[in-house]
Amino acid sequence: MTAKTRRIAETKSAVGGCIFALLLGTFILAVSGENPTLLFEALSNSIFTGFGLGYTLFYATPLIFTGLSVAVCFRCGLFNIGAEGQLYMGALGILLVSLLLPNAPAIAAIPLGILSAALLGGLWGAIAGVLKAKRGSHEVIVTILLNFVALYIVNYLILYPLDDPTTQKPESLPLGAGYAMPLLSEIGLTVFDTTPVNTSLFVAIATALVIRFLLKSTPFGFEMRSVGYSSSASRIAGISVGRQTILAFVISGILAGMVGLNDVQGYHHKIIEGFSPQYGFTGIAVALLARNNPVGILFAALLFGTLHNGARDLEFLSDKVTKELAYVIQAVLIAAVAAPRFGETLFGWLRRGGKKPA
Amino acid sequence: MIELLASTLRLATPLIFAAMGGLFCERAGVATICLEGVMLTGAWAAATATYFTQDPYIGICAGLVAGVLTMWLHALLAVQSKADAIVSGVAVNLFATGITPLLNKIFFGGTANTPSLSLDQRLSNVPIPGLEQIPFLGPLLFDQPFLIYLGLLTPFAVAYVIYRTAFGLRILAAGDGPKALATAGVSPTRVRWMAFAVGGALASLGGTYLAISHASQFTRDMTAGRGYIALTALIFGKWKPVPTLFACLFFGFFDALQIRLQSSSIGGFSVPVQFIQMLPYVAALVLLAGFIGRAEPPLAIGKDDR
Repeated sequence: MTAKTRRIAETKSAVGGCIFALLLGTFILAVSGENPTLLFEALSNSIFTGFGLGYTLFYATPLIFTGLSVAVCFRCGLFNIGAEGQLYMGALGILLVSLLLPNAPAIAAIPLGILSAALLGGLWGAIAGVLKAKRGSHEVIVTILLNFVALYIVNYLILYPLDDPTTQKPESLPLGAGYAMPLLSEIGLTVFDTTPVNTSLFVAIATALVIRFLLKSTPFGFEMRSVGYSSSASRIAGISVGRQTILAFVISGILAGMVGLNDVQGYHHKIIEGFSPQYGFTGIAVALLARNNPVGILFAALLFGTLHNGARDLEFLSDKVTKELAYVIQAVLIAAVAAPRFGETLFGWLRRGGKKPA
Repeated sequence: MIELLASTLRLATPLIFAAMGGLFCERAGVATICLEGVMLTGAWAAATATYFTQDPYIGICAGLVAGVLTMWLHALLAVQSKADAIVSGVAVNLFATGITPLLNKIFFGGTANTPSLSLDQRLSNVPIPGLEQIPFLGPLLFDQPFLIYLGLLTPFAVAYVIYRTAFGLRILAAGDGPKALATAGVSPTRVRWMAFAVGGALASLGGTYLAISHASQFTRDMTAGRGYIALTALIFGKWKPVPTLFACLFFGFFDALQIRLQSSSIGGFSVPVQFIQMLPYVAALVLLAGFIGRAEPPLAIGKDDR
């Protein structure tokens, strides 16, 4: 398969996957005795109303970060399933710096929050990178295990030493006032009134452009991609594969850690137990759909944000289906993108009337 | 102490089934991180079928069917369509996380759990005559649901099948040298589909055990990362059945220990529950990092020569 025909096959498969996923969604609605058009109503609400779009963008923002996080590792030939843990550690970083310097004015507090989210996320990512580079531990297993550890650490901290004593809810102490990222509705975009979409969206978009530049136009990015293509060839060419591996995981951790800008600094202004609806795992789907292209990730994140918000909307509209429908649809999308030959295999098989290829 | 041992056995059983299921798939040369999803659909199907038929054995069969079908989704993507096996695994896990609460809502009106089963609908304890008479030890270790005994025997059966039968040797060949296997006139793809059927069935038993033997209902995400721990155990066992059994017992022990520690205090200081829950995962990480040396996966894993 040449690069061009593969690209066409992949695009076909992605578009086909979207259509198939929507069909499956309507099918599930029909089976559960619900009006199937409700799915389209929910999805169009999520895009074409200011309120819906506000929430959609709010959900898309963390997915940009986690999508980039997964993509950077992918480009280096590594699999980061640890974005979920890294994002909790990043959120913890924001909380800690705010507790240290609660009265910092916004002009200092917002960058401080971003830096400490990046620092803790990056450190957590580094663990996986070091274990992979120095000990040869498989990064998939390591990151999965680290997810559990990060979640327990953060849960412990926000439930005991950093718990908010004024409420029974599982929440941490609130951030200092200066740490709040301004909402878009506060900077003049009144169409987004009462929605939590905030300025971290702009940070996310800028970050995507920075990562694109880093990967495409710097020697560092070239080395990273080279390791991704062939680590043995890179080693012979004098690139330190171990160093690239660690750096890839550090950058991935930084990116995932920045989810906290949106959910912690931008909206809740504290850490709520389990605030992430699996952003880290959805990030894998986002990166795949965008084929690890940072600009593509912006659009893929928007799609998955729509899906997530649409599914939540659907749960409100219907008493028969639940928002978990989004997971099923996401799975189908991932499958369609990951297995471009699946469509061909299926259609080929149907065309031959169920017979095996000669 | 004996209670801790019995608890270790109970908690290791789902890990053993899942790890043995994973062993079949991974030895056939396909990374299989979707054990979690297979257990989850197996658990739901088993609990639901048991609830409607009031017969746990029909529940087991339903779990097996669900497990095989879920694992075959992975086969469809990773074997048949040559998708990246890790990505395919992620998709299958996501699918299982989504489809179980959706179906539960359709069947029972809520996403949280299936209705709980009465004691006589669950798998009952099967005492082993003679051994069960041993004072203290007997009632705790030899009066258990039969899935626990089956779990302990399975690794030895798996070792026999893998190392001593033509089917097993073909699986090993599909994992280490699929081209050689193809040259010998056997389709690696076909071998992998069959290995996945066995793997899915075994892993589903882990979920079934959780739903209708260990607990009395399916609860949402009840596998709680056990599929991943099983995978880690498989790596510690270096993809060999009997060492993997010991790795599962090791993790089962840590799980039992954490449950035990939750209700106790050390020198008047009670350890926060989160740190205790972290134990099995930290133990796994430390082992992965330091003490097992480089684990050599089956050669064809991660290669595109399928």
